[in-house]
Amino acid sequence: MIRRWLSSYAIFIALAAEFLVLGVATDSFFTTGNLMNVLRQNAFTAILAAGMSFAILTAGIDLSVGSVVAVAGILCADVLTRGWGLTAGLGAGLLGGLAVGTVNGLVVTKVGIPPFIVTLAMMLIARGAAYKYTDAHTISGLPAAFATLSHGLVPVVIMAVVFTLAWLVLMRTPYGRHVYAVGGNREAAWLAGIRVNRVLLTVYMVCGTCAGLAGVLVASRLNAGYPKAGEFYELDAVTAVVVGGTSLFGGRGSIWGTLAGAFFIGIMNNGLNLFHVEAYDQLVVKGLVLLAAASLDRWRADAV
Amino acid sequence: MTLLTVAGLTKSFPGVLALDGVDFDLQPGEIHALLGENGAGKSTLIKALGGAVVPDRGDVRLDGAPLPVGDPLEVRRRGISIVYQEFTLVPELSVADNIFLGRESGRPFLRRREMRRAAQDLLDGLGARVDASAPVRGLSVGQQQMVEIARALVGESKVLILDEPSATLSGPEVERMFAVLRGLRSRGLGIVYISHRLEEIFAIADRVTVLRDGRRVTAAPVAGLDRPQLIRWMVGRDVTEEFPPRTAAPGAAVIEVQGLSCSPRFSDVSFTVRRGEIVGLAGLVGAGRTSVALSLFGALPAQGGVRLEGHPVSFRSPSEAIAAGLAYVTEDRKGRGLFPLLGAGANMTITYLGDFTRFGLVSRDREEAAAAAAAKDFDLRASGLGQRAATLSGGNQQKLLLARYLLKPRKLLILDEPTRGIDVGAKAEIYALMNRLTSQGLAILMISSELQEVLGMSDRVVVMHQGRTRGEVPRAHATPERVMELATGGGSQHP
Repeated sequence: MIRRWLSSYAIFIALAAEFLVLGVATDSFFTTGNLMNVLRQNAFTAILAAGMSFAILTAGIDLSVGSVVAVAGILCADVLTRGWGLTAGLGAGLLGGLAVGTVNGLVVTKVGIPPFIVTLAMMLIARGAAYKYTDAHTISGLPAAFATLSHGLVPVVIMAVVFTLAWLVLMRTPYGRHVYAVGGNREAAWLAGIRVNRVLLTVYMVCGTCAGLAGVLVASRLNAGYPKAGEFYELDAVTAVVVGGTSLFGGRGSIWGTLAGAFFIGIMNNGLNLFHVEAYDQLVVKGLVLLAAASLDRWRADAV
Repeated sequence: MTLLTVAGLTKSFPGVLALDGVDFDLQPGEIHALLGENGAGKSTLIKALGGAVVPDRGDVRLDGAPLPVGDPLEVRRRGISIVYQEFTLVPELSVADNIFLGRESGRPFLRRREMRRAAQDLLDGLGARVDASAPVRGLSVGQQQMVEIARALVGESKVLILDEPSATLSGPEVERMFAVLRGLRSRGLGIVYISHRLEEIFAIADRVTVLRDGRRVTAAPVAGLDRPQLIRWMVGRDVTEEFPPRTAAPGAAVIEVQGLSCSPRFSDVSFTVRRGEIVGLAGLVGAGRTSVALSLFGALPAQGGVRLEGHPVSFRSPSEAIAAGLAYVTEDRKGRGLFPLLGAGANMTITYLGDFTRFGLVSRDREEAAAAAAAKDFDLRASGLGQRAATLSGGNQQKLLLARYLLKPRKLLILDEPTRGIDVGAKAEIYALMNRLTSQGLAILMISSELQEVLGMSDRVVVMHQGRTRGEVPRAHATPERVMELATGGGSQHP
């Protein structure tokens, strides 16, 4: 009972503690500028992590999202440079992400390859395609209006909308319940009449679309389509989800935990910067936090 | 001198007394058959002998010296080898590698040639024609069984225990295995032979011990026994009054199965279930009954004719079968039934969750109302609808699954071992519920390995044997002997 409670709320306690420590130990943390920065910088990761939550809740994973960020950004930038307008650019990015996610989901369900392998392959394919399409060049010269997508609180608002939708879908629709059920006991879900393959396909579509959206926002911030964009973002997204208390074994986790996880990691990076911790050491710390979170999940699972 | 002596072995699992003071003895140079219905305690007994199960009480001695409990490696070292029912070979490794798996010679580097020669000697000594360097993947089932036996004989073996070794073998393969076993017997080995096939007992065993409900019924030399006597010992008891009276008035056919096949699990299965009728699907474990149920439910593709209320149907998924009015409650509640992380309420509403929505969103009120009504209807006892399913008792878990599928009216309910692992009180409730449901016109197909349950609850009994429907017995003629006769492959096919 205590274990269950602890593992469900650990991330929120940790996030609060982080705020407290940084607030007390530094003068610069609780400034509007810094907090805005933290929010804006981590909105991308959080959006990726929202999609990733769907995949991980079904005991799957999507390692291709970082590459999809690049693909979507390039598609969006390409459309924009052709002068087809902002909506078309945004649409191209989202549809690009959706398309990659659909392919992932189809291979997972129709061919029956584990998601880890499918999306690892897709990570390479999509990244390669991004370089190939741009000839390893940056697509720049985007309309000035496009940059407003990453100005001020816009990405944060978009993130809030994404999370609200994700919460609504996961917690309040039959589909969301099915996601949890498939992750919790796939055999039972199938025999209970859930179309398991449809659920698995759609979680990768959700994941891809979120990555597409993040890709557009990243392109807006860079004001360019950049084939190297989003490298290693998939790892940040997985870390956020796991640190947020979602079980890699599937069936357990909450979208708010993921949000808290994304910001816990983001603020930790921010804090380590404020304390002038070297970038290399930061990586080590991040890795240790991930291990700790996964151990907590294991400990939790052992308690039944 | 007695090779192996078991005295007063007792083992209880939650809700079941699996072994109740069982005595058993084995002489050197003897093949001793262990016989009993499903659940009689045979598996628990050999697991206790092998050290995989720690008995609560009792004494096991090998050559007069007490055997350690719960230490499989030490038991193996002392000379007791077990060949389990499921093959434990690694298909990608060679025969020799498999035979010496876990007991490889050579350190740090394997002495492959030496191991291969030793393995070949072992196989040749058994008279098994198997090449020790061949990969196991390419062997026939019979050859794999030989490898299993050879592996059990590595090192010094005094006692060889075989759990249903013939279950997957063809006739000639069984004969070859018998020849091998007779050879081992003449070398002075003690062999414990477990089988459901009575004719094999007469063919190979010197003595037989019969278990029933965890107790030893008898131990007798096979010579002088006959088949009916063995069946009587296995079945024993009369069907008691624990079952509520059935007053069924079967109506029109709900499901008609004609020549359904799913190679190699089952073939040419035919039966009918009518409105308001309980049809028991009896047979030994492995007869293919669950596969038939899964096929009807769209979870396993099969060929052949199935008609639901006269219309031909072929479901490609359980969701299609559910949409057509079928329900299947699994025998494996934990593995294929429950969502352990979801609450009792969510476990019940999952199948028809779409019915409790408003504007596409689940209405908590409607969902909870439906779950609460079902919990009351099925007398589900939980601390609340939020109590996680994994923490409910077996009986309540079963009620929960029934409630899930019966939340909406159904045409056919398939129950797979409906009372397995459930205490007596909850059993009676499940039986009463089955009667209530059939009186409302539901058709029930009940798979059960408990003979008593089959006879007590079924209006008709369909018996399967090795993947085929072997015969059908109406309630009036259903005796334990008759059903067991058919289930073990005896009897005429058409009564």
